Amino acid sequence: MVINVKNLVKRYGDLVALDHLSFQVKEGEIFGLLGPNGSGKTTAINCILSLLEYERGDIEIFGKPMTPDAYDIKRQIGIVMQNVAVYTELTVYENIDYFCGLYVPDKALRKKLVQEAIEFTGLNDFSRFYPKKLSGGLLRRLNIACGIAHKPKLIFMDEPTVAIDPQSRNRILDGIMELNRQGATVVYTSHYMEEVEQICSRIMILDKGKAIALGTKEQLKDMITLGEKITVEAFSITDEQIQSLKSIPNVLSVHYSGNLLVIQSGKGRNNLEAVLDFIKKEGIQFGKIYSELPTLNDVFLEITGKELRD
Amino acid sequence: MFAHIFKYRMKCLLKDKETMFWTLLFPLALGIFFNLAFSGIGKGETFQTIPVAVVDNEEYRNDTVFQTILQEVSSGEDPLFHLHVVSEQVASKMLEDNQISGYFVAGSPVTMVVKTTGMRQSIIRSFLDTYIQNMSLVSTVMQKNPKALKALTDDLFHTVSYLKEVSATDAKPDNVASYYYVLIAMACFYGGFQGSRDISDIQANNTDTAARLNLTPVSKMKTFLVYMSASLLIHYIKMLLLLSFLVFVIKVNFGGKVGFILLTTLLGSIAGLSFGAFVSALLKKSEGIKIAVIVGTSMLMSFLAGMMYQGMKYIIQRNVPVLSYLNPLNLLTDAYYSLYYYDTYTRYAVNMGCLALFIPVFCIGTYLIVRRRKYASL
Repeated sequence: MVINVKNLVKRYGDLVALDHLSFQVKEGEIFGLLGPNGSGKTTAINCILSLLEYERGDIEIFGKPMTPDAYDIKRQIGIVMQNVAVYTELTVYENIDYFCGLYVPDKALRKKLVQEAIEFTGLNDFSRFYPKKLSGGLLRRLNIACGIAHKPKLIFMDEPTVAIDPQSRNRILDGIMELNRQGATVVYTSHYMEEVEQICSRIMILDKGKAIALGTKEQLKDMITLGEKITVEAFSITDEQIQSLKSIPNVLSVHYSGNLLVIQSGKGRNNLEAVLDFIKKEGIQFGKIYSELPTLNDVFLEITGKELRD
Repeated sequence: MFAHIFKYRMKCLLKDKETMFWTLLFPLALGIFFNLAFSGIGKGETFQTIPVAVVDNEEYRNDTVFQTILQEVSSGEDPLFHLHVVSEQVASKMLEDNQISGYFVAGSPVTMVVKTTGMRQSIIRSFLDTYIQNMSLVSTVMQKNPKALKALTDDLFHTVSYLKEVSATDAKPDNVASYYYVLIAMACFYGGFQGSRDISDIQANNTDTAARLNLTPVSKMKTFLVYMSASLLIHYIKMLLLLSFLVFVIKVNFGGKVGFILLTTLLGSIAGLSFGAFVSALLKKSEGIKIAVIVGTSMLMSFLAGMMYQGMKYIIQRNVPVLSYLNPLNLLTDAYYSLYYYDTYTRYAVNMGCLALFIPVFCIGTYLIVRRRKYASL
């Protein structure tokens, strides 16, 4: 195990920020921490990294207890913080070189690593720029470059894609997967479920400091009763036909509004086929049909009764 | 590692415009302002001959004693009066046009006319009072020994000081220099801005870059020591620039003990940096509030050391002497002062010793606060 967290409890006064949190991160995986804002993702990372005091719990990284002066462990860790943490007085190159130099004293090696980080994050054309001259997306990339230039074995990425354009976001997500392919274990926090679904091998969903679900995305979706949601652009459907649709096996609910027929089915096979058969048999005129599998938001909704984005 | 962190810290500090303003440009501007404000201060103390008139009437023409006395005090190298003998109408017109400060009208007794009150009018009045009081004596001398009249008027109208001003050193008394000593002492303590930034940049609960630094395999205290070294070097260079500006451009006299002046400035810079670091570590507030506290405290200490009113320093010394020793900025000012005025080093040593005591207090206090390894919140 790369990370082993047992019974972690962190309070801010009366507020329990982390409530007996336990999980493990395996070598070579991209481990996702998913939860709404305030669910405890960043607090968990800061406790793991020994920045924050906590009331209870044991934290081990690379099999050793994590403490503020565990410099051997820190040397193998890279951090991409939620806020951009760079010096405004230094250029892009200087910022990366400065932070890389705190891990890598050898000048020649460092020069090579800094150049690689610049190329990896696509900052080649901006290496002499000061942070104030960079766009939000480029700043995020600089933030990442400062965290990964020294080639760490374990990388913590705390919401690295907040408030950036889709192009930069895709580049960052591709970069994270590339780092993982190169051998880095990644702990990735986000409240964007699409990102987590896209890149994470295992996902832990947090709510109010508690782990409410943990597994691969398939395992998480298997935890809930929902199956696919079928949406049909249909015209002139009668109340009787809606009642008949509800009686189809495995159909959980049917809504019809504005020529859109939405059928939520439970877990099971051939749900779409059964609905299409019914539409044909009844001679209902229809346009587009599409089917959506349950999302992590559905998982969160079913477990907590609220939307992930609330 | 030291060289790596030191190099980048220097770059950051040299490009920090706000700190550069407060620690160098502001004291320079204040020095220029002082120079403009104090440039005419000595001129007011120079005596200038007072233009007066005497009414040329019959009484005056008959009063040879008064004529002789007026001629005596209106002649020579530094005459008291520049005398006009004119008609009363002309005298009145001249007074109205401010060509003269007053005029005499001979008679029994002699009277004077002035338009306003002031230093010159007081001198004219004093002259007339002395003349009236000693008029009979002057008449007797005139009649019996006219040659002795010159000596008599010298005695009567020129005060004799029986005290002689002797300087303890070769230094010339300079009322203005003290203001510049407070200025450079204040600038030394504005190094507190850099000390404050050094603390903010290593405390994970202050800035994001500090949080990132706390996660690297370099100890926080080591980073802090490197940061303080860089800050001290930059601040000391700034203080030397300011000192050079005051000495060579504004011509402030700091005396000839160059080595001690440089040492005093170095100790002042260290005290200023450690003061700022201590304030920043102590206050769990925003950067703006920390800066406001550093500026406010430095200004208060400067005021008590005599920056706005030179007499304040002596008021404190007379009424609350302990405050003089508890005000590090006053100690620094007094160290420059004693270097300039005294040949011995006793007073200087006391000032430097007391100032040096503040440095470990600030440093130990800072260490005890920032040594924590984890934070309750970020």
